[in-house]
Amino acid sequence: MLERHIQALITDDPGTETPAAGRERLKGHFPAGATRRMTTLGLMVGSALAELDPGEDDAIVYASSYAESRALESFLDSFPAPSPTLFQTSIHPSAVQQLLIGRQAAVRELLPLSGGALFAFHALRAAILSPAPRVLLCGGEERGTWLLDHGLASERTFAFAVSLRRERQSGALGLMRLVRAAGSGELGLGAWFDLLHARSPFTGLVAPGWRMEIEWL
Amino acid sequence: MADPAAPVRVAACGCITPFGDAAATHAALLRGECALRPVPVLGREGGDAVPLALLPGRSLDETTPPDWVAAIASLRRSIPAGDWGSAGLPVFVTGSNFGVGGLYALRRTGNPSFADWSALPTCTERVRTELGWGPDVSIVSHACVSAHLGLLLATRVISEGLADGALVLSFDFLSPFVAGGFHALKILNADFPSPYRVRDSGAIGLGDGAGFAVLGRGSGDWILSGQSVFNEMHHFTANRSDGSGFARCLGTVASAARGRRVWFKGHGTGTLEAGQLEVGAAARAFPEAPIVGWKGSLGHTLGSCGLVELAIAVESVRAGRTPGTIGGAGRAMADTVALESFGNGSFDGVVCASNAFGGAHAAFLLCHA
Repeated sequence: MLERHIQALITDDPGTETPAAGRERLKGHFPAGATRRMTTLGLMVGSALAELDPGEDDAIVYASSYAESRALESFLDSFPAPSPTLFQTSIHPSAVQQLLIGRQAAVRELLPLSGGALFAFHALRAAILSPAPRVLLCGGEERGTWLLDHGLASERTFAFAVSLRRERQSGALGLMRLVRAAGSGELGLGAWFDLLHARSPFTGLVAPGWRMEIEWL
Repeated sequence: MADPAAPVRVAACGCITPFGDAAATHAALLRGECALRPVPVLGREGGDAVPLALLPGRSLDETTPPDWVAAIASLRRSIPAGDWGSAGLPVFVTGSNFGVGGLYALRRTGNPSFADWSALPTCTERVRTELGWGPDVSIVSHACVSAHLGLLLATRVISEGLADGALVLSFDFLSPFVAGGFHALKILNADFPSPYRVRDSGAIGLGDGAGFAVLGRGSGDWILSGQSVFNEMHHFTANRSDGSGFARCLGTVASAARGRRVWFKGHGTGTLEAGQLEVGAAARAFPEAPIVGWKGSLGHTLGSCGLVELAIAVESVRAGRTPGTIGGAGRAMADTVALESFGNGSFDGVVCASNAFGGAHAAFLLCHA
């Protein structure tokens, strides 16, 4: 069966919270001084992921369409004297690396994905196919500024982390499943996040030939 | 119908570099040619001259539409026909920096047409449309191990019976964004790279590159096995000094290669410490294996390097000769470093390895079916 049990779920939907307010709200999740160079998305994804206590044998699937939009904007603004720190920080899986490098916590498998209309399907497929005993599926977006004006960044800020296991354990919250089906559909990252955040049951086509089912206990 | 227990095979693969396709690139490497040239790091905006390997006629400065689209279209002609992007034949697009050239040009010029090919999802959607694929196109971006992860995900999709085959396409074309970033880190400088050679300071070069692999069960001359990844999470741009990250990744591949005589296609960008760690780890995991690296000629093709160098490795085995490690002068870091080309007829496997930011490592074993 192409399904995994939801053992834990962390979501963060800060609405219109400013980056400065978000930093203040989340800084307690990290060692003193560690947050100075962290991005908004790094703080949010890192906080959510940290609650699941990632270990070396976990697989991490990271889903973000635009990733570190603010760092990317600042790096582009830094030319003709580009910032080396912002260059490193703007790399796609930086949000996960900011937490794990801070913790010096190795992980065997990190699968950083971007995506569009079929992103929920692609991310869940990658998570389900990983042979790791526990898969931590995390992701999110941060609202851009001038990149958003060109449709090249997210309109909203959010983050999530889900612990998925092959076998149901005590305290399980629900189940996510992929089923072959006729027809076609779409489910982007933001809409998927809303389902998880609200813990809404869902059955619907999410890609050509595939239906996603989310059940809550 | 393909045997569901059969190993996943590489049915086709290819690449484009400044030398041309895989055969032309292999031939140029055998001749010891270097594609790197000194180019101002910010293109038309100037700056220090750094070693870059650009496709013939291509400028570091982005155009609209991007001039690299022609290279992708050219590569497409080598990809076997299929209903790519359908549920049965998904596509995995991988790279570390695609779309960033457009972002840079957009910011510097204010011309909104650059936005059309910028950012990962937007750029991929344009490529998908340009190549006529269906919608099932995943995007994988983990810096310079991106191509390896695309191969891993494609292998899993096929192994689990979710698809009949899969296409992995990887591309990275240079821009002032990327060149400026590596220059800011000081590892891209006026020096040309000398991978796996003893010298006073390290340096890398960067190159344009694109590659593809078609995976499936039914046919194909090549088998990928022992696919392995490991992420140290020690530092954004450095590895643990004990080399444990390299060892953890290569252990899985060494198990898959037991009983085989292999040669080792290393990452070999030209940085000193990473080069020494890689040479040491390769020698411990594969004591008899000669190690080669080609980035001293092609430059580092970033997220596409895993697929570009896979295609050259396949061409090397087909031709019976492996190009040596090109770039600079001076003695090698170890006796296992092959500075000259060698006949590979007595080998029955190739270990292909790549590394990336965050202490990310990826490798696999390539064998003839």
